Amino acid sequence: MYCYLYDDFIQGNKRFEKELALIENRLTDLGIAGKISRLALFRNAEEMIRDEIDKGVTTVVVLGNDDTIRKVLNVVVESGVVFGMIPIGPKNKLAQLLGIPEGVAACDVLSARRVETIDIGSVNGRKFISEVSVPEFRAEITFEEKFRVFPTSTAELEVRNLSGESNPCDGMLQAVIRADVKRGLLRRSTKEESILPLQSMTIRAEKPIQVFADGELMEGTRFDISVESMGMKIITGKERTFET
Amino acid sequence: MFKKSEHHMAHAQAGSETIIAQGVKVEGDFKSNGDIAIDGELNGSLATVASLHIGESAVIHAEVSAKNAVIAGVIVGNIHVEDGLQLHASSNVTGDIVTSRLSIAEGAVVNGRISMNGKE
Repeated sequence: MYCYLYDDFIQGNKRFEKELALIENRLTDLGIAGKISRLALFRNAEEMIRDEIDKGVTTVVVLGNDDTIRKVLNVVVESGVVFGMIPIGPKNKLAQLLGIPEGVAACDVLSARRVETIDIGSVNGRKFISEVSVPEFRAEITFEEKFRVFPTSTAELEVRNLSGESNPCDGMLQAVIRADVKRGLLRRSTKEESILPLQSMTIRAEKPIQVFADGELMEGTRFDISVESMGMKIITGKERTFET
Repeated sequence: MFKKSEHHMAHAQAGSETIIAQGVKVEGDFKSNGDIAIDGELNGSLATVASLHIGESAVIHAEVSAKNAVIAGVIVGNIHVEDGLQLHASSNVTGDIVTSRLSIAEGAVVNGRISMNGKE
């Protein structure tokens, strides 16, 4: 049983009216129409999804963008239901990575129901699919409580799960540190890239730093990051950017 | 000469490679089941059951063990390599070496005992 969750930015928006009508018709034609739930201000997305799962929903499909996915990710992963998406509007990086085309074309991908089980990352209990990034990284990382890694100059950090360059099905995350290194007589700065595979790590900073988990801002001095191997069932398209 | 691009390319083909580039420092017990390439700094211990590449700019203060190793940087500490060890011209090792096969380029500096197949 399918549940379709409409984000509030696409409801009552004339820009998406026609596309929504096409999507609803196509879902009916394909025989995968289901319950429609609508997000709204003051309505908790996670509670709505939990209610639907209690009623027997086995596949949750969001209509929206990366922000919509973030609103329901924790509850989808915890409940173990299959997750799908119909990307609408801007900011749909995750859909691109998963090979889901925008708008009505996504209905056929849902109908084909190519379900993959992928790893899920967690930062301070908040789940992420793609990556955690720290644009201004001035902190130290402890890897699996065994060794410490820190940049000796200005750096940026990415912890990747599904990014096009990492495998989201290997039970590992990948920490990428890009540090500025000055070279030559003119002391020109180049970015040198370090890559460390990991299952868990902790970022500790003396002052609060900004961390983006799938684009969502978090601030703090400590971030515990780990991977949940094969933690999420997700519908992907043929054009997905990763290999299993 | 041991070029960074060569070992980056080699590692791109491997499974779970680790690269410690310039501008990054590691402290503690660093262990891996995959290949390791280091151009940065490391203090502590360093072990892998696969291949180890120490680049020209690397500075390592550690006990080192690996299956195979290519060294072009500075190591202060004992080195135990199960199969083959290559010391490039730019390498500078202060510590004892135990290995099965050894290749030393002209210009390489070794201050320590060398044992091969467990024999001094």
